[in-house]
Amino acid sequence: MAGNKGRGRAAYTFNIEAVGFSRGEKLPDVVLKPPPLFPDTDYKPVPLKTGESEDYVLALKQELRETVKRMPYFVETPEEKQDIERYSKRYMKVYKEEWIPDWRRLPRELMPRKKCRKAGPRSKKATDTGKGPSLTNPADVLKKIEELEKKGDGEKSDEENEEKEGSKEKSKEGDDDEEDDAAEQEEYDEEEQEEENDYINSYFEDGDDFGADSDDNMDEATY
Amino acid sequence: MTQAEIKLCSLLLQEHFGEIVEKIGVHLIRTGGQPLRVIAHDTGTSLDQVKKALCVLIQHNLVIHQVHKRGVVEYEAQCSRVLRMLRYPRYIYTAKTLYSDTGELIVEELLLNGKMTMSAVVKKVADRLTETMEDGKTMDYAEVSNTFVRLVDTHFVQRCPLVPATENSDTGPPPPAPTLVINEKDMYLVPKLSLIGKGKRRRSSDEDATGEPKAKRPKQTTDNKEPIPDDGIYWQANLDRFHQHFRDQAIVSAVANRMDQTSSEIVRTMLRMSEVTTPSGAPFTQPLSSNEIFRSLPVGYNISKQVLDQYLTLLADDPLEFVGKSGDSGGGMYVINLHKALGSLATATLESVVQERFGSRCARIFRLVLQKKHLEQKQVEDFAMIPAKEAKDMLYKMLSENFISLQEIPKTPDHAPSRTFYLYTVSILSAARMLLHRCYKSVANLIERRQFETKENKRLLEKSQRVEAIIASMQATGAEEAQLQEIEEMITAPERQQLETLKRNVNKLDACEIQVDETIFLLESYIESTMKRQ
Repeated sequence: MAGNKGRGRAAYTFNIEAVGFSRGEKLPDVVLKPPPLFPDTDYKPVPLKTGESEDYVLALKQELRETVKRMPYFVETPEEKQDIERYSKRYMKVYKEEWIPDWRRLPRELMPRKKCRKAGPRSKKATDTGKGPSLTNPADVLKKIEELEKKGDGEKSDEENEEKEGSKEKSKEGDDDEEDDAAEQEEYDEEEQEEENDYINSYFEDGDDFGADSDDNMDEATY
Repeated sequence: MTQAEIKLCSLLLQEHFGEIVEKIGVHLIRTGGQPLRVIAHDTGTSLDQVKKALCVLIQHNLVIHQVHKRGVVEYEAQCSRVLRMLRYPRYIYTAKTLYSDTGELIVEELLLNGKMTMSAVVKKVADRLTETMEDGKTMDYAEVSNTFVRLVDTHFVQRCPLVPATENSDTGPPPPAPTLVINEKDMYLVPKLSLIGKGKRRRSSDEDATGEPKAKRPKQTTDNKEPIPDDGIYWQANLDRFHQHFRDQAIVSAVANRMDQTSSEIVRTMLRMSEVTTPSGAPFTQPLSSNEIFRSLPVGYNISKQVLDQYLTLLADDPLEFVGKSGDSGGGMYVINLHKALGSLATATLESVVQERFGSRCARIFRLVLQKKHLEQKQVEDFAMIPAKEAKDMLYKMLSENFISLQEIPKTPDHAPSRTFYLYTVSILSAARMLLHRCYKSVANLIERRQFETKENKRLLEKSQRVEAIIASMQATGAEEAQLQEIEEMITAPERQQLETLKRNVNKLDACEIQVDETIFLLESYIESTMKRQ
């Protein structure tokens, strides 16, 4: 039900005098576009402060801007490959110090992991870590390896890595080189071994019995 | 976080750490706490780069990590801390005024690196100072250590939270991320170090003397197997303490402008005495007796006790209420009303903005409404003695910019407009917030314009840098005046003019940023102080 507008005539609900327009006067135009991007100002801005301290702080600011570009914390964006490799580019590279954070203070997942070597993980998986059942025949060994590769892999390797890092934290080496070597020993690239879905590996908590069920008891009926 | 704040954070992160860190940082500011893989997935960056960016951000105290249930580590960005990066030059300059060059370099190193151990800071600062000294002189580590300890004692530098010492690892695998804790009393505890040594100069003759080629030098430092005595104890700059200092400075200069030098000295003494006794968010300082103040006045300030008492009475009676009298014992107990002082400073900022933007008549109306709290339109015209039409125009202009707001008081329950009072009022808190938002936007605009100017003239800047490098190398090898002249002429006169203009513009934009930041500081302090009281 559209409301009556006072028997067909427009009437304001408030006292029009109060906002400064007398009755019957032409109201100002309605603005139909956004305000201008650089509006004119009636009053010019006040000049900036000048002085010795202001000059010093300005110089500090500009120096700081240059310095941060040379720090190791400034992460350069990897440039795309250019068609022709310029000779001068080789000699214009800025020498930047390498920065290695204190890994004891950071979450473990932030450590860079090197690509795993093919021989390593296989041998590790084949050896009994004490969780699997006794492997009696080669067929079961192969099946076990396949299962481990597919599902429980993330959890097991996590445990292995946790043990290694536990020992690392205990020794508290201040030497960066040794830490780097230890990082290289972690031949485990999570990305390569995760499944093709959106679930985060660590979310999936295997029950204690998972993977430990041996396929030896095949006399149970399958449905 | 408002759009203006996010934009400013993005520009600051980009200037300091590059685009990758900026992308990750802005994503975290926008979305809140997130685990590692979600960040990588949402921003579309590779896991390696996300890890690196997070390491950098955590190192600089811009992002914190927390372990949630199921072993998931979440990363959360601190937007207000990112905005502090604008104020770094001011912190460094303050350290210089208080502790001279050594203090300046210590604070600069701490701000540039986020957190450092004491031994690392001392070594680096000593090296830097040695570079600037005359030949043959070196900076002793002990002197730098002393300045460092003084900075810690006055709370300008504080310890970072520590990794808790793991007693035994029988309780299972260690957590995916350490939970950092810090004890209140340990925060300013300096470890007993005996740092002996002198700063080293980085000169080519030194390297030749030791006989080691340049390539081997970086490796040598990492092969150093000496245990660092204060390993694991990191220090960071305590920004709150700097803010306290800025606030005190603002109050003292306000008193100096309003009254005279002596009263500002008295207020400065009172603030200095309350530095360590008053917590940072307190609305007023601890009461100080007039006798104490008299004893603590700076040496060489010869005013008698009666004159001091007169000044204190004057300050306490002042309508601005910076100083208040809280009792009569000990010759009169006086406090400094920090919250009221910040409120006055914020109000003064607002008034000055209105005056510069809309004119002095608008400013008169603004001050009138501020004083009388609520006024009807007719009353505004009468009190301000400004013709009705102009007064209406000015009021609506200020209303549209949100400096003034309308308060409706209905006479009837149906809120009919013809039977409602409309009162104009100024809410300082909301006007301050609005102005702060505008300041953030201004700074973002200034930075963008500066980057645009620099990009426009990039080719010219690179050319001039190359020419300077050529001239420097030629001078080092001893070239003739004529050759230098020839090289300098590679830059033509109009290009020189262009460079001059560019330099002037960039300087002006930088100076603007610094001064807008001062306003930002005042408004933020006021808003923070008000929110704490609620």
